[in-house]
Amino acid sequence: MSKLFIATLFIFMMNKSHAVTITINDQNQQPLANAVVWLTATDNTLQALPTDSPFTMTQKERQFTPHILVVPQNAQVEFPNADSIMHHVYSFSSAKSFELKLYREQPQAPIRFEQTGVVELGCNIHDWMLGYIVVVDSPFYGVTNNQGQIELTPDHGEFKFNVWHEGFSDISQTESKTITLSSAAIVYQIGQSIVPRITIGVDEFDDYE
Amino acid sequence: MTMNKTILAFNLLGLAFSLNAVAQVKGLLQLSAVKGDPQLSWQQGGIGLYRYDTDNDGIVLSQGLLDFRVDLSTSWSAHGVINTYQDPQATLGFSQAYFQYQPLTASNYKWHVRVGAFYPQLSLENPDIGWLSPYNYTNSAINSWVGEEIRTLGVEATIKRPGRSFNSAHSFSFVGASFKGNDPAGTLLSWRGFALHDRQTTLNESIAFAPIASFNTPQLQHQANQVLPFEEVDGRFGYYLGMHWDYLKKSQFRFYYFDNNGDPTALNYATGQYAWDTRFASAAWLYKFTAQTRLIVQAMSGKTAMGKNRGVNNDFYSHFALLSHKTEKHRFSVRYDFFEVTDHDDWAFDPNASHGEGITATWRYQLTPQWQLGIEGSALHSQADNREAMGVAKKLSQQQLSLNVQWRY
Repeated sequence: MSKLFIATLFIFMMNKSHAVTITINDQNQQPLANAVVWLTATDNTLQALPTDSPFTMTQKERQFTPHILVVPQNAQVEFPNADSIMHHVYSFSSAKSFELKLYREQPQAPIRFEQTGVVELGCNIHDWMLGYIVVVDSPFYGVTNNQGQIELTPDHGEFKFNVWHEGFSDISQTESKTITLSSAAIVYQIGQSIVPRITIGVDEFDDYE
Repeated sequence: MTMNKTILAFNLLGLAFSLNAVAQVKGLLQLSAVKGDPQLSWQQGGIGLYRYDTDNDGIVLSQGLLDFRVDLSTSWSAHGVINTYQDPQATLGFSQAYFQYQPLTASNYKWHVRVGAFYPQLSLENPDIGWLSPYNYTNSAINSWVGEEIRTLGVEATIKRPGRSFNSAHSFSFVGASFKGNDPAGTLLSWRGFALHDRQTTLNESIAFAPIASFNTPQLQHQANQVLPFEEVDGRFGYYLGMHWDYLKKSQFRFYYFDNNGDPTALNYATGQYAWDTRFASAAWLYKFTAQTRLIVQAMSGKTAMGKNRGVNNDFYSHFALLSHKTEKHRFSVRYDFFEVTDHDDWAFDPNASHGEGITATWRYQLTPQWQLGIEGSALHSQADNREAMGVAKKLSQQQLSLNVQWRY
């Protein structure tokens, strides 16, 4: 038992993981929320962690929850329907094209996302519904909060730093640059103007189309 | 015939349940304790404009319905609403039954087609299952009439420009339909006038009139003392066009122009039904002040005529304003209605002019997702020129009170 503890401690120390706070700003130096950030190794040696338990993209109150889900490559995603009405979820994105008719009582098998990229989700019945699944080849990823910040815990060293936002003019593209992690804070400014996304607030009686 | 329909209904229902994996079946039962007006309801051959009268005092099954959707393929689905009522007599029938083709398309524009029997979606008051209103129990004068005399038996195509696809706050839909049937639409407005109720007519049902004196004249001798609103009489196609404009779902606007293209000279002697040349424009607007408080207004203006020389020739107009506020489990809704029919023909023996206004206030309490309680009071006063010839006063004031319990699954 104590050997295991020492071994774990040793691995932890060898791993040299450090929390890095990443701040994403837009072109006006304002913090940018809902930006997806992930780090990949410059030599492509950094593999996404295998995931056993599936991720979840819920249909709730006629919206996708969460609005943006980041998953590592080959992850499985479940699409539970928390609404009393059916949804018809689809994607035409090249990273993953699929459709699912979803009833609350009949959960469908999860879907595996083998390819990296941005998957845009819609519902054929509720055409205001919009969601994204961003599939990344990295174990270090996240979405910025309202302060435009995300904390990741990679090793020190050289990485390819990637960022994506739904307000990009071409949502199939990402911004990337090579960085060397040595400090505890990174600030990145987006190189393009962000198109504000329209969010449509709906209620139980807006189904009637 | 009725037996066959009943069997068909149960077969479809059985199909719906057996195909549960691809079906969505919802049901609703509503019991009401009613304190009706002494004036006999139009449903019982009276001149009362409410659904109930003192003969109904006590507990009634005010709504009983099954609303189902069965997916036949990725793009095709079958939809239907089966209603049961105990007034004026026990009935079971479809109020809607149609197929929908809604292809999954990568295009930014979306489209779908409906084929069968359905409502033109001109109302913003009736978004609940089975075309019910989640606001007042008693529908507005406009949508009471739509529920009893308007149904599309045909094909409707909708093309939509969703704001989502264009990252725009504005969404637009354009609707076009062509249909048969629905030739007698307008009959009720001429001989009864507008009414306030939630009694939808199922396909193949008839609605009786009060003992209208002018029906005993040679000119109207072939008119039955009832209307079969969805019957085909003249063999011609009708049409309607519609437009929906949504701004972030905060503001929702719908405009429809409807023309059943009825040939007023056409008459089915066997059923005593004329084709009425009925056309109207309807504009409805829903505005959410907040997530809790909304305003719904709708106005409808139209014309209807029947007979070789348009012996019955009327204009009709109605509007309402409905304010609804939801706070936690409570919803308060109050609505004002104005309605009017003006007579433009020279058949003095058949006066059709009528007008009136009403106020309806409703409180609903959502006990659980399945159970809802509610109370409603409504008052109206009306005037109809054909009442005197029936030996009753031209002017009428009425009230109706109801306690309601609704269960859905």
